[in-house]
Amino acid sequence: MDLPSATSAGELRGLAERIRQGDASAETELVHEFTHRIFVMGVVRTHDREAARELVQDVLMAVIGALRKGQLQDADKLAAFVHGTARNLINNQLRSASQRPPMEPLPEDLAQACRAEQLEDAERMRLVHQAIEGFGQEDRRILLMTLVEGHKPGEIAAALGLTSEVVRTRKLRAVKKVTDLIRKKMSRT
Amino acid sequence: MPHSYQARAMNCKEVEERHILEGYLLDRLSEPEREEFEKHYFECGSCFSQLQTGLALQAELQHRPAMPARARGASLRRTWVWAPVFAAMLLLFSAGIWWYTAQKRQPSQQVASSPPKTSPEVPVQAKPPSMAAPSLEELARVEPPAYTEIVLRGAEDEAQETFHKAMQFYVKGDYAHAIPGVRAAAKASPRTASFNFYLGACYLLAGQTDPAIVSFRQIVSLGDPAYSESAHFYLAKAYLRKREVTAAEDELQKTVQLHGSLESEAAEILRQLRK
Repeated sequence: MDLPSATSAGELRGLAERIRQGDASAETELVHEFTHRIFVMGVVRTHDREAARELVQDVLMAVIGALRKGQLQDADKLAAFVHGTARNLINNQLRSASQRPPMEPLPEDLAQACRAEQLEDAERMRLVHQAIEGFGQEDRRILLMTLVEGHKPGEIAAALGLTSEVVRTRKLRAVKKVTDLIRKKMSRT
Repeated sequence: MPHSYQARAMNCKEVEERHILEGYLLDRLSEPEREEFEKHYFECGSCFSQLQTGLALQAELQHRPAMPARARGASLRRTWVWAPVFAAMLLLFSAGIWWYTAQKRQPSQQVASSPPKTSPEVPVQAKPPSMAAPSLEELARVEPPAYTEIVLRGAEDEAQETFHKAMQFYVKGDYAHAIPGVRAAAKASPRTASFNFYLGACYLLAGQTDPAIVSFRQIVSLGDPAYSESAHFYLAKAYLRKREVTAAEDELQKTVQLHGSLESEAAEILRQLRK
């Protein structure tokens, strides 16, 4: 079942239009909505958290610039537009490596909103560290073999003397438990 | 900025059933799958939360000491967990030997520019004797290219200074922390082959294979003869790590054709690959 993101499709549609009309608060909302997603995408594609942080700002600046000029033709596709812009900029960076021209920086208020979002990353890491401490040795092993060593449930099952289904269930349960913990703790702050 | 959106949307059920989240984090999805999943999580709060958790778990688990295996074969790649430690020990040892020989050979001046090489005179990481053919993981193992600090008589420019500071992390075996400085130097001086070469080496040794390939390709395109052979060789290692054997063979072939100090090592890896 697909759950809606924090901002509904209707609100996203309105966001694009408000930015086109010059509403500064809409730009801040856009930053809140997409900073984490662009960052995660950047980390996964570049394997470099610092580069991903720089990319977040570049992507947001490019998206906001385009929205201000009314370049998004279908307001229903704002999320796809942000993803496409992120993908293109990341690919350009990977292709041209060190020769990326400097982009115009985000205005200070938006950059600040962006940094605040990124601070959550540190808090998330702290909570994950705490959650792992609470896991049993076998659950930790399943997560390690899945997310770091890249083994399939069948391989892990054979190595640990479990069934594939048990491995799969325990992995999903562990990820869900940490996700719930993060959601609970971070919604309080 | 043009966008093309042919990727179809994925749903949460598929993400779970096809282990898409793990595949994405491990860089194992095909490009269309990756696009589909990204498009999905840009709109799906639930999958995105799990992805954020997965990414954080992965980062945290990578930095934990290896856990004892409960069963035989439980950690099939445990040796990789220790690779940075071995690499750091080897590097320190190599640096000591190199420093000693350099002092003897050139008492008044340090070498200004020396192409990187894996030091053949220094014993490399001991490998257990084995009658079986080495695995792809074993063939993909990388020794850190030797780094010689360049001492110039004049004032250093800013890029060189940044590079030298960052390389202090490299010599300590902390490749991930060397990356930002080396990258900044390469960005400021994109035609300096040594900056790009060590950037590629840092990426490779820090486990960031794709950006390493980009950096080594940049060296090849620069055509600096001092770094060409090493760039082809390390490109081959990067492709082996990605299990792209044909591309690796191609780079090894190019290494052999240059008849440099890495010729025999490249030829031996080629021979093993063709077994």
